[in-house]
Amino acid sequence: MKLIRIPEDKYYDYRINAMFDCYKWDPQFYDSNTLAKYVLVLTREENERIVKITENLDIETRLAEEYLNKNIKIAEKLSLPKEIIKQIPNMQNYDKYKNIRLMRYDFHPSIDNNWVVTEVNSDVPGGFAESSLLPDLARKTINSPNLKYNSFGERMVEAINNKLNKKGTIMLIHCTCFSDDRQVMQFIGDRLQKEGYKVIYGAADHIEFKDRQAYCILDNNQHKIDLIFRFTPLEWLIKMRPKTWYGYFNTTTKSCNHPIGIYAQSKRFPFVWDDLEDAGISMKTWRSMLPETIEVKDASKREGFIYKPVYGRVGEKIAIQEACRGDEYKKILQDVKKHQKQYIAQKNFNSKPIKSDDGMEYHICLGSYTIEGNHSGYYARISPYPRIDSYAADLPVLIEN
Amino acid sequence: MIGKEIYKIYAPLGAKWTEWIRPVPFIAIDTYNRKSISTWVDRKVMFLKQYEPDTAIFIDLPGKESIELGIALAPMGYRPIPIFNGTDEQKGSKPTTDTYLVESSLITGSQKLKNIHLENNANPVFLLDSYRINRYRATKSMFDNSWDLYGQDIPSAEYFIENGIKKIIVIGTKIQRDLKKIFAKFQEIGIKFYLTDGYLPATRVILKKFEKEEL
Repeated sequence: MKLIRIPEDKYYDYRINAMFDCYKWDPQFYDSNTLAKYVLVLTREENERIVKITENLDIETRLAEEYLNKNIKIAEKLSLPKEIIKQIPNMQNYDKYKNIRLMRYDFHPSIDNNWVVTEVNSDVPGGFAESSLLPDLARKTINSPNLKYNSFGERMVEAINNKLNKKGTIMLIHCTCFSDDRQVMQFIGDRLQKEGYKVIYGAADHIEFKDRQAYCILDNNQHKIDLIFRFTPLEWLIKMRPKTWYGYFNTTTKSCNHPIGIYAQSKRFPFVWDDLEDAGISMKTWRSMLPETIEVKDASKREGFIYKPVYGRVGEKIAIQEACRGDEYKKILQDVKKHQKQYIAQKNFNSKPIKSDDGMEYHICLGSYTIEGNHSGYYARISPYPRIDSYAADLPVLIEN
Repeated sequence: MIGKEIYKIYAPLGAKWTEWIRPVPFIAIDTYNRKSISTWVDRKVMFLKQYEPDTAIFIDLPGKESIELGIALAPMGYRPIPIFNGTDEQKGSKPTTDTYLVESSLITGSQKLKNIHLENNANPVFLLDSYRINRYRATKSMFDNSWDLYGQDIPSAEYFIENGIKKIIVIGTKIQRDLKKIFAKFQEIGIKFYLTDGYLPATRVILKKFEKEEL
């Protein structure tokens, strides 16, 4: 694995091309440039190893969520929001063959030259264009046409074509006030339009359900929906008023993702592994990859644990002392103390910084997607410190041939 | 592909503060085939006599006016930094916020700006659309493309101070709620705020501290 620097004299155009041609609409976060000046290149062996682990994790995760969906008592250990627990009976018609299952597993290199997986983005992973178009722009910029990549976008289009056969209306559900949500949707929407689908951009409450079928209610776009592609997290969806979101849980309209994704999205997922294994579902890969994860109350007597919110996203609110800014660490600890069930404690692993070809060192998070169980590309970010959060920079991933 | 070329006029290589220019309306220029506007007004700067090296400006007027006044400040030495971040509505639906005028005015503004010489380290005049926070939907079938400015969308207070900015002038009828939230923290570390309607000289404002802060 190596980090190759994008030549300084090419970076200005690279950044602008990333914005205009690769849907990178959020290139700055406070004072941090969120488009890396590097390209990550994996060896073929590294890629093969990650693909294998990813697909094994996915087998376990999908079996786990199907089991949890049928066993509410066990699912309750995940501290799911009450509104979602109430909806579990309505999810019993979930049909894995009908819906499209998308996940992204976060890999980090550790100092013992292994990989650590810290979580799965099981509900609404993002980074689509960064993993589909940015690698091609990067390999042209560094003039390395022989490096290859697995395009997430193309794998997703194949998966959708398998379900819809290039016909129908797809609604891209997102928070319409956020351009960084729209950029994810616009990429996939433009690509699907080329494929021949009618694409509608809208918010979660622009869908109404009649006899469990989804319909768009946007002005001049009243249509029967054939696929709901959701980028609004479930924890946000259930705050929607009036409560028209019930329909997402029992709809017969195909979904990507169906709300079944909420089970593994909870960082308390490891707390049900014993139950899963008692039921004959092996969690062997997960156990070998995820750092020890315990209840907050049990971490006070032990050293070397960090705290993570049960429904945290993009690295926010993770208490790693050396990676927090200002009084952030103190504030998170106060919140952990106050809301113990909303956090988990996870053994801090030693992230191995990768040295770039210009001598700098960066920590990496390598997100590995699966669509319908198959590895479907990478989304990577780098940071000068060992927490990959909103200040981190997007990094295209290429693979040696 | 004219959006990219227009973006480069606002964000030339090596110019300070341009990293914060949002590409969103420039991309929409191509997506929706926007044209320059015929109703452009060349504005006169009334509230400020000359370039102030310790001052940055935020214009929070309706989008088109904001761009017109931002361009008018360029000959004085301020670099217009458009930070519009609203997306366009689903075709056919009714939006809460009009992004069309912003996108078209940016085209016309660029034609003026390319003829104005600006130093690479020129202080910024950030351009906002005061209609951005119109969140009201008369019916559920409308498309809410309103948007707020968040702290992460602009440089940090520390960056402003490190780059010699001690004073921020806001041009608008008031300091709107999203700006208040960001600027209250700026004020805590010593940046002073002034408000003007764009005509009268700016007067000092003291922002109330936000009691409840999210992590």
